[in-house]
Amino acid sequence: MAQGQAGGTPPSDAASHPGDEAPAPVFKPPRQPFLEVLGALTQRRTVVLGVAGVIIFFAVWEVAHYVTPEEKQRFLPAVEQVVAEIAYLFAEKNFIADVGTSLYRIYASFFVASLIAVPLGVFMGCFVKARALISPTTGGWRYLPAASFAPLLLVWFGPTDFAKMALLFLGCFFFLVALILDNTLAVQRELIESGLTMGAKRRQVVGITFRAAAPAILDSMRNMIAVAWTYLVIAEIIVATDGIGAVMMRAARFLHVDIMMGGILTIGVLGVLTDISFRIASRVLFPYLRVRR
Amino acid sequence: MAVFGRGRTAAAQTGANAPVEGAPPLRANRVTKSYLKGSVIALDDVSFDVHANQVTAMIGPSGCGKTTMLRLMAGLEYPSRGDVTMFGQPIMGPGPERGMVFQAYTSFPWLTTRSNIEYGLKLQGLAKAERRERAEHFLDLVHLEGFANAYPAELSGGMKQRVSIARTLAQNPALLLLDEPFGALDAQVTWEMEEMIIEIIERENKTVVVVTHDIQEAIYLADRIIFYTRQPGRIKADLPMEFKEGRRFHKKEEMLVHPGYVDMERRLYAMMREEIRGRVS
Repeated sequence: MAQGQAGGTPPSDAASHPGDEAPAPVFKPPRQPFLEVLGALTQRRTVVLGVAGVIIFFAVWEVAHYVTPEEKQRFLPAVEQVVAEIAYLFAEKNFIADVGTSLYRIYASFFVASLIAVPLGVFMGCFVKARALISPTTGGWRYLPAASFAPLLLVWFGPTDFAKMALLFLGCFFFLVALILDNTLAVQRELIESGLTMGAKRRQVVGITFRAAAPAILDSMRNMIAVAWTYLVIAEIIVATDGIGAVMMRAARFLHVDIMMGGILTIGVLGVLTDISFRIASRVLFPYLRVRR
Repeated sequence: MAVFGRGRTAAAQTGANAPVEGAPPLRANRVTKSYLKGSVIALDDVSFDVHANQVTAMIGPSGCGKTTMLRLMAGLEYPSRGDVTMFGQPIMGPGPERGMVFQAYTSFPWLTTRSNIEYGLKLQGLAKAERRERAEHFLDLVHLEGFANAYPAELSGGMKQRVSIARTLAQNPALLLLDEPFGALDAQVTWEMEEMIIEIIERENKTVVVVTHDIQEAIYLADRIIFYTRQPGRIKADLPMEFKEGRRFHKKEEMLVHPGYVDMERRLYAMMREEIRGRVS
């Protein structure tokens, strides 16, 4: 009521808008320093800065190569030499087969690890008794370094693909279980309780929990597969038959630093591409996370 | 977490047993609930009946056990002593006949508004066409017609809470349990929602139990207020809202000027002050 009366006679200094007057001058906020606390950034500038970081990295490498004394330069080849070496490997040395083998090993073993770890983690997250039974064991396994199983796996399975993939599996499985258990436990309790009050049975409660934790689980997998690359290289270096790691190991014998660095760079690129694929998968699988009101 | 193990058999039990003739929708029968091996007594020998087609509000200072009582009614927890019965049958777990709306937003983020409402109906085994129809009705009831295909992330807090209410009501529960349903909303949205709830209760003729810490909200929604003391939780007062003379106010401001309301609010504030003063802190 009081508002209605006030609306009739607005205070002249607050709400008058004479049409002929120019709009107030644009406000100039203080200049934003580079290290702005809580600063905002446009999408474009984020990309620009990210690319700049990569360029700076390669520039430092390039400079390091040219300041190295001539006779030692072959231990630190220039960026273009490494890139040329990668191109040569692909063109002449059937490097694509080695890359394919490595990719197959990493994806296949990670897939199997996830296939067991995701249901196991969700199961433990849903049922307190299952968690009490299983979690201390799987948790403890994380402290057994996977690399230390390499000799054992070699004795058991010989220089086979299986031995390498078993090492990869051991390297990421138990961490994956622990991460997914955490993701599942982080599901808001009321979400489950509201399911129960709607008549959800045990099976549906597990479904609700899984759906609620799924985006975080995919994130955990994305972070874990980066670690899996480490074990891939370890496996391929210890039993150097084929794969990117084996190519690098053979190169080491002849001090072909450019090949070794080429291998590392290739793995880096493949890792980044994997990361990007996971992010795209997240967008496709969980479109509801990206909507905003 | 105990509900996981017992939920399945318990829901079957409450469903299978026939209601006792003349028994109230809900009865707390000498209920004691203690935590930490009896060192914290949330509820101490509490008994009362919830009457059919009434709105019963439970209020009291923080930590008085009002939410615990609601959770016992929902079957999400079990009493240490005594029992809570629904139409004469002890409550042995959660079930769709006791719909609950939580303070936290509980609509499933991966489902649209419509699918959220249909979720419970799917659990009940309703055919697709019927689910659609019921969802449509309840979308209208909570004024979310235009947001049927929106995800919760696209909705405001008040709208999310309306999804939860619609989803709960769509299952046609015999009892509606509201646990501080508007606690996370801002003041203006809260009174909009309060008026909407009154409208819905009138239309659907429900038996409702609501927990709130807001005295004004309790008086506005309730036909009867149960006031709890703090630790141990006991019933301090059981107050029928006689000034309403059997009707409910559709606009909140109509109630605010009623002398009966002013008296009731003053009484409840006095009680609340008494309880807070008694607290050692």
